[in-house]
Amino acid sequence: MPVITISRQFGSGGEAIARIVSQRLNYLLLNRATITEKLKEYDVSEPEFSQFDEKKILPGDGDTSELEKSYLRYLEALHNFFYDLAIRENLVILGRGGQVLFKDFPPALHVKVIAPYKNRLQRVQKLYNLDEAAAARLISEQDQDREEYLRHAFGCEWFDLDFYHLVFNTGILGLEEASDLIIQLARSLEHGNIVSRKDYEEQLMKESLQPGVVLDASGSPPAFAHPSEEEFARMLDFYRIKWLYEPKTFPLQWDSEGNITEAFSPDFYLPEQDLYVELTTQKQKLVWRKNKKIRRLKELYPDINIKIIYGRNYRSLLQKYGIEEKKRS
Amino acid sequence: MEIENSCRLKVLISEEQIDEKVAFLGKAISRDYAQVRDLVLVAVLRGSVYFAVDLSRNLSIPFILDFIGISSYGGGMEHPGAVRITKDLDVNITHKNVLLVEDIVDTGLTLNYLLKKLRIRNPSSLRVCTFLDMPEKRILDVPVDYKGFEIPDAFIVGYGLDYHEHYRNMKVIAVLK
Repeated sequence: MPVITISRQFGSGGEAIARIVSQRLNYLLLNRATITEKLKEYDVSEPEFSQFDEKKILPGDGDTSELEKSYLRYLEALHNFFYDLAIRENLVILGRGGQVLFKDFPPALHVKVIAPYKNRLQRVQKLYNLDEAAAARLISEQDQDREEYLRHAFGCEWFDLDFYHLVFNTGILGLEEASDLIIQLARSLEHGNIVSRKDYEEQLMKESLQPGVVLDASGSPPAFAHPSEEEFARMLDFYRIKWLYEPKTFPLQWDSEGNITEAFSPDFYLPEQDLYVELTTQKQKLVWRKNKKIRRLKELYPDINIKIIYGRNYRSLLQKYGIEEKKRS
Repeated sequence: MEIENSCRLKVLISEEQIDEKVAFLGKAISRDYAQVRDLVLVAVLRGSVYFAVDLSRNLSIPFILDFIGISSYGGGMEHPGAVRITKDLDVNITHKNVLLVEDIVDTGLTLNYLLKKLRIRNPSSLRVCTFLDMPEKRILDVPVDYKGFEIPDAFIVGYGLDYHEHYRNMKVIAVLK
């Protein structure tokens, strides 16, 4: 499901943009209020969340302190919570390293909202009814916390612009205009019209050889051709491996007029691993035709990384997890 | 465990072979980490406990032993959920040298998840030691720095590996038919 992450400088209006975007798109907004409530299901209490939310805990000397252990548990719970929700819901995630967690998530849009210091100071004074000195102190503390949180939790720099599709300066552009642009792009994302940078680079590379045909990048639940594929997809979901079902068809043979006479669509593509996976539940002696196609695929597209899971390996995988094999109905 | 009396079990790796290999791995790891401080052995519950304990006895360098547990895929359910850490580390591994100790690496799905989870804690180094490697079953390419035996795709029990909690304490590794 599409995920929009919004990273923001304190006082830049990023939170307001997140609210507008989530309301208009009817996406679930994950901000402080909603996360506090829902994280209780992950055994994170409200005081614990307030203590750790977007903050860095300094490591103590010697053995791990209880505080550090709680902090790591908190991060784990928060990230599990985000990933679990992203499978089921369209999300707008405010801060909390969403841009890192969903960096290679195919239907994702990563936004950073900044503003000149002067504008932020005015906004914070007005919003929290503070004098200039108190507002300045708050901005400095909040920005520092967020910066250190990213560094501590992910080893990443908050201002590494490589993470973002868009950077809005709300000192120049209004909140409404920025929100409109995000909504417009999110709708393209819903229709699969935005590809990730990795997909784009891969597509360019393939096109310079012999193009694969992009068939489906919508992210909607696929109609699996065989129950084994559905079970395999569940396994991947369980282990949080991102996948696409039959996203590309590779032409293998052409007639004299250039029409495609034979093609091959691997069952799965795992974008994080840049790996295609073909599942076959046929008996070994019947897979020669598929093997022949895969050999041809490797000849024509030598840079493609493909793994074949044969029937006996698939059955042993089911045995490992104590699953009974389902036949096609 | 009466292996000889069980027609379902065929010994694949003997007790002597296990001891020899564990000693070999212990030496290799002690040599490679000789100049390194803050080595943390992270054993994955529950299968790798036997191997981790034996391996640690064969190390001649200081280390901390800790354990991590994760939920297993059950399959068959409509909403199996997602993998979770069921027992977290007690030790902070940030800026420490971590050696993840596995009983077996087959699909790479579990190891891939664990490596991701440990990497975000910023250890100085993160390596993998597995007693058994089953490359035929591999789905994801995962790094394996130390391995005991490379074995074919079969249902393996013993030396920590179980079948419905049976055979875990066998001193040999056997194929369950």
